Amino acid sequence: MRSTTARALPARSWVTDKLFLGLPFAEYLKSLATPGNFVVGLILAVGLPVLAYRFAYGLGASTNLSQTNPWGIWIGFDMLGGVALAAGGYTIATSVYIFGLKQYHPIVRPAILTGFLGYLFAVLGLTADLGRPWNLPVPLFISWGGPSVMFEIAWCVVLYLTVLGLEFLPPVFQWLGWKKALAVATKATIGLTVIGVMLSTLHQSSLGGLFLMAPGKLHPLWYSPFIPAYFFISSIAAGLSMVIVESGLSHRAFKSRVDHHVNLDTLVVGLARGASVVLFCYFFVKLQGVADSGRWAMLNTGYGYWFLVEVLGFVLLPSLVFAWAARRAFVTLIRWTAAWTVLGIIVNRLNVSVIALNWNVADRYFPSWMEVMVSVTLVTLGITAFRWIVNRMPVLNEHEPSDDRAR
Amino acid sequence: MIPHDILTLYSAKMIEYGIAILFLLVFIPFWNYVQGPSAVAVPVQARVRQAAAAGAQWFQVPLDRLFHRGHAWARPEADGLVTVGLDGFAANLIGPLAAVGLPHVGAAVGQGERAWRLIAEDGRAVEMLSPVDGVIADINRDLVSAPDAAQTDPYGAGWLLRIRPDRLRANSTNLLSGPAARRWMDEAVAGLQQACSPELGALAQDGGVPVSGMARAIDPEHWDRIARTHLLTDEKEAAHV
Repeated sequence: MRSTTARALPARSWVTDKLFLGLPFAEYLKSLATPGNFVVGLILAVGLPVLAYRFAYGLGASTNLSQTNPWGIWIGFDMLGGVALAAGGYTIATSVYIFGLKQYHPIVRPAILTGFLGYLFAVLGLTADLGRPWNLPVPLFISWGGPSVMFEIAWCVVLYLTVLGLEFLPPVFQWLGWKKALAVATKATIGLTVIGVMLSTLHQSSLGGLFLMAPGKLHPLWYSPFIPAYFFISSIAAGLSMVIVESGLSHRAFKSRVDHHVNLDTLVVGLARGASVVLFCYFFVKLQGVADSGRWAMLNTGYGYWFLVEVLGFVLLPSLVFAWAARRAFVTLIRWTAAWTVLGIIVNRLNVSVIALNWNVADRYFPSWMEVMVSVTLVTLGITAFRWIVNRMPVLNEHEPSDDRAR
Repeated sequence: MIPHDILTLYSAKMIEYGIAILFLLVFIPFWNYVQGPSAVAVPVQARVRQAAAAGAQWFQVPLDRLFHRGHAWARPEADGLVTVGLDGFAANLIGPLAAVGLPHVGAAVGQGERAWRLIAEDGRAVEMLSPVDGVIADINRDLVSAPDAAQTDPYGAGWLLRIRPDRLRANSTNLLSGPAARRWMDEAVAGLQQACSPELGALAQDGGVPVSGMARAIDPEHWDRIARTHLLTDEKEAAHV
C-alpha cells in the first residue's frame, strides 16, 4: 500500500520499470542470487560451452550419432517431444475461441507462452542436430520439396511459430502500454487460432508421418500406417497434460502474479476430463494398430513388454486415473497423473525415434553426455525465458492492475 | 503384411471390427462416468455448492427483471420506460451507503457504460454499469435523503433511474432473466465464496443473512477493488505507460 507521506524517489526509467522489476540495477542483481538461479547458472556454464563445441567441432565430435543412427535425443526428445508437449497452445486456444469454452480463458496466455517457447526451443534443438544448420532456409525459400513430409513440417513449424508469436502479442502490448496495438492484436486472435489449429493438425501428424517411410527400421509394434493419427491424437493429450502441469507449477512459483479470482482447481478438473477421454480413444486407436498389423505374437517379446508398458502404463492407466480423480475433484492426483502422462508422451516419442528404431540392428544408439547436456540446457533456457516473461508481463493475470508491478 | 481387402473376411478384420464395437460399447459408459457429477463430496466442491445453494436463497432474482452482468437490473414498464437499479448482490457487496451519485435527467447512458456511483460510508466510491442504452427520464430523488434504500430495498424503493431506451430489444440479448439469471447469480456467489473469509463461509452454511458489505469482510483495505471486479468496473489500465 502506498504511503501518503512519500519519500523523494527518483523517477523510474523505462528499463528499470520494465526490465528490472522496478528495482535499481544493483538491487536487481542481488535479487537474482537464489538457489534456483545458481542451478540455472551451473547448467548454462556447462551447457553453453558444450553447444559451442558442437558447432565448432561438428556432430561427430559431440554426439554418438552415426550413419546407422542419424537421429538421437535431439530429434526424439527436443524436437518430437518438445513439439508434442507444446500442443497446449493450440488445444486451449481452440477450446476457448472455437469451441466457446470461455471458462478456460484464464489459462490461454500461459498455454500460448508454453507453446511458443516449446516450439522455439524445439527449433533450436533441431538446429543443433542438423549437420548444416545454415541450410535451414533452403527448403523454405530456395528449393521446395513438395512430395517430402519434411518440407511440409518445415513450413508448418515456421508458420506456426510465427502464429504463436503473434498470438502472444496481446500480453506484450499490454506490458508495453500500447493500447491501440493491443486492440488490433486482440482482434486477430480468432483468425490466428484457426490458422494455428490447421497448422498444428498438419505438422503434429506429419512428424509421425516421417516414420511411414521406415517400415523396416521401426519395430512393427510401433510402426503403423496410423502413425500420423497416433501423433496427432497423443499431442492433444500431451497438450492438456502439459497445461495442467505448467499451471500448477506456475501458480505455486508465481503466487503474487496470478489472478486470485480464477478457480484453477475447477479448470484443472475440466482439463483432466478432456485428457481422460482423449487418452481413452488413443488407447483403442493403438489397439487397432496392433490388430491391423496382426503382430499380437510380438507382444510376448522384450520389445512387446515395453510396448505394453507404454500403452497400458502411460496411456490406459492415466486415462482411468484422470477419470477417477476428476469425478472426485482430487486435484493433487490429477497433477501427478498429468506429469505421468507428459512422461509417457516423451517415452512414446523416444520409442518411435530412438529406442524402437533400428531395433534389429547391432549398432545401437545411446546419447553422449554432451547430447544430454545440450538437451538439459535448452530446457533450462526455456524455463528461464518463461520465468522472465511471466515475472514482467500479464500472462497469469490478464487484468493485472499497474500498481501490482512493484516487487 | 496382411492384405487389405474390403470383401474378404479374415481374422485381422474381424478383430478390428471387434475392437471398434468394443470401443463403442465402452466409450459411452466411460464418457458418462467422466462427465458425471462427483460421487464423493470433497471440501472445495462441497463449499462451492453450499455457497451457491445459500446464494440462491440470499439474493432474490425476481422473474420480472432483466439482469446485467455488472449486477444492475432493468424492468420494462408499461409506459415504455425502463426502471433500473442495482441487484441484491451488488447491494450486499458494497454495504451501507452514504450517498448515491446519479446522472442528471436528460443524460445519455449506454449499456455496459458507467452510469451511477455508489459511495460507501468510508467515502470510497464504486461505479456501476447501465444495463440498457437510452436517455435518463427520471431519477429516484428519495435517495438523496435516504441513500440506504438502494441497499436495503434494491428491487423496490431503492430503484435508481428510469430510462427511455433506444434499443431495448438489442440490449435484452445481453441481459439475463429467469433460470439463466439464477444460475449466473449462483456462480457469482460461488465466485465470491472462493475468496471469502471463514466467518462468511459459516454464515453461508447455516443459512444466515449475508454480511452487509461482503467486500469489506473479505478485504477491508481493498474492498473497493473487489467490488469493482465483481461489478465489472475495474480499471483495465496498461501495466506501464
